[in-house]
Amino acid sequence: MALLISKRLIALCLSACLITACAGGTRAVRGEDEPGLDQAAMSTKLDRRDLQKALRENMEFMQNSAVVQRWRTENRPAVAVLPMRNETSEHIDGALQALITDVETYLVNWGAVRVISMESQQALMSQIRQQLQNDGFDQSKVASWGRQIGAQYWVDGKVFSTDERVGDQRRVQYYMFIRVLAVETGEILFQNQVAITKAIVRD
Amino acid sequence: MEIHLRPGPHPHVGSNAVGRYFLLSSLCLLALSAAGCASHSSHTEDARAALDQGNPQKALGHLNEQLGVDPETADLPDKVEPNHQLFVLDRSLVLQWLDDLPNSSRDLETADKGIEILDFSRSTTDDISKFMFSDDSGPYQAPPYEKLMINTMNMMNYLVQHNLNGARIEARRFEVMQKFIADHEDQGKALSGPGSYLAGFIFEKSGRSDEALLYYDEALNFADYRSLHEPIRRLAGKSSNRANIKAVLEAGGPAPKDDGSAELLVIVNYGRVPAKIARRVPIGVALTLAAGDISPTDQAKANELAGQGLVTWVNFPTLDKPRGNWGTPQFWLDGRPEHLEAILNVDTAAVQEWESVQGIVVGSAITRMITRIVAGQVAKKASGGGALGTLLSLGTQATMTATDTPDTRSWSTLPARIAFGRVRVPAGEHRIRLQARGRMKEQTISLEKNSWGVVLLTVLR
Repeated sequence: MALLISKRLIALCLSACLITACAGGTRAVRGEDEPGLDQAAMSTKLDRRDLQKALRENMEFMQNSAVVQRWRTENRPAVAVLPMRNETSEHIDGALQALITDVETYLVNWGAVRVISMESQQALMSQIRQQLQNDGFDQSKVASWGRQIGAQYWVDGKVFSTDERVGDQRRVQYYMFIRVLAVETGEILFQNQVAITKAIVRD
Repeated sequence: MEIHLRPGPHPHVGSNAVGRYFLLSSLCLLALSAAGCASHSSHTEDARAALDQGNPQKALGHLNEQLGVDPETADLPDKVEPNHQLFVLDRSLVLQWLDDLPNSSRDLETADKGIEILDFSRSTTDDISKFMFSDDSGPYQAPPYEKLMINTMNMMNYLVQHNLNGARIEARRFEVMQKFIADHEDQGKALSGPGSYLAGFIFEKSGRSDEALLYYDEALNFADYRSLHEPIRRLAGKSSNRANIKAVLEAGGPAPKDDGSAELLVIVNYGRVPAKIARRVPIGVALTLAAGDISPTDQAKANELAGQGLVTWVNFPTLDKPRGNWGTPQFWLDGRPEHLEAILNVDTAAVQEWESVQGIVVGSAITRMITRIVAGQVAKKASGGGALGTLLSLGTQATMTATDTPDTRSWSTLPARIAFGRVRVPAGEHRIRLQARGRMKEQTISLEKNSWGVVLLTVLR
């Protein structure tokens, strides 16, 4: 009897192993149908939730800053938003580019400035992106772009990271900076930083 | 309770028949599972053969089949299974050979994350399982040189596309991995000539001289690359606290001229590292290979079993021959031959890595073999011997043999050799011709004053 049981057990174990190996499958889901889908971190990259949180905090600080008070006294000066620079160890350029529109939306809705969209100036935008990504921030060039599009102020930003791997964990600490510069002088009129940490940890 | 199986009608006959049925079913399932447990190298054999023939398009098709995507495309599956990460890595360099650099980068980045997760997810159970049941149990753990090569190969992709931002990200990832290897494995294994050289080049061209010199100093720790001397003299000025940089400055040489010239870097990746393949060797040879890595008890047991004729062969992974490591690449600029500097023998790194673990791998293969035979003997004894006992013994051994697959997992499309050519050229158009392993690439590149360009030839045969 014991032998029979052990044989059945072996067979069941084997079947279970095979079933486990063959099980699984993928399906498409909608965020609204899967509670918590947008909440879970999938990697150490910044996702939409991280970026929107960091941007919201930065923009709230900006809204209450002296530079916005100054804009209100200047009869809606022209402002343009520069691409956000990626100084991290993750390929998040696409997500950062998408933030330009989000920053413009905040500025437009505050009503304190006229926002000059760079979307209609693709050639210049491409030149700016190339300059910022490859050669960094050059005030003389930035001033010349500002004059070219008639902007008095720039809003720009960059994201840095400190990336560490220790044992079986990886931690990436991100810092998102947002600042406002006067086009002509390059003077920094506002600057704020928000930190976000992502990690892969062992349960 | 002792069980005796009797022939003929008996109240237990039905149960025994069921038992035999289950046993047979188990064996059938095992046969099926064994068929599905082919080693990694057998899955990449066709792709490697196509590369040997100089047909990267065909190799791409074979790797796509393994990934379950359209053979004609470079798509990624919706979800890359953990045991498919190596196919993605293999495919990344086939795509690099085909000059499909954006997709090559995407594959390298996908595998970079995937390999890291596999590294994190390895548990003690996996290690025990590897030692007891199968060599390729548990997630793949890439050796240090493979981990560093992921970011190095991707730096090349981004540089050719003139994307310094993407290249800097890869340089930063390379640095994180270097630090991790230095802290957790071996300072020596963290050294990577091409990785540090390229990271230095990337930061130099990004206008960040201090960071560039830091990486160039690291690269010189690996080897005295002559092509770095001129850029170092140009960047460092008159003095430096870094030993290697200081040595270059003290050695002197012609002062670099600020003449508005451009800089050209050519990279030639050629040949292929030795792939891991399954090998059967006589037990005597295996015992010699594992002499320092097997316990005296296991050694005695193995000798005893060999003496009884129960063991004759042991299955374990080994390295195949590298491809094209003796080839000589060539570089012509505007019709003139130019010097190519050997940067790294990746095949040597692969062999050194293998030699450092070979004894342990063979030792654990012998231990698993002993375990199988002993388990078979125990099963036979427990069943009271006889025909069923023999069947059970064979079944047990067959089960354990079927599930024991030599771990032939490795990044088998890495080039055997990497060579760089670095020259300053007047601004304007230049014709570049690169040749390696019977393949030639001709390209015209237009360089502005004080600009730079990178040309890459990858031939994995």
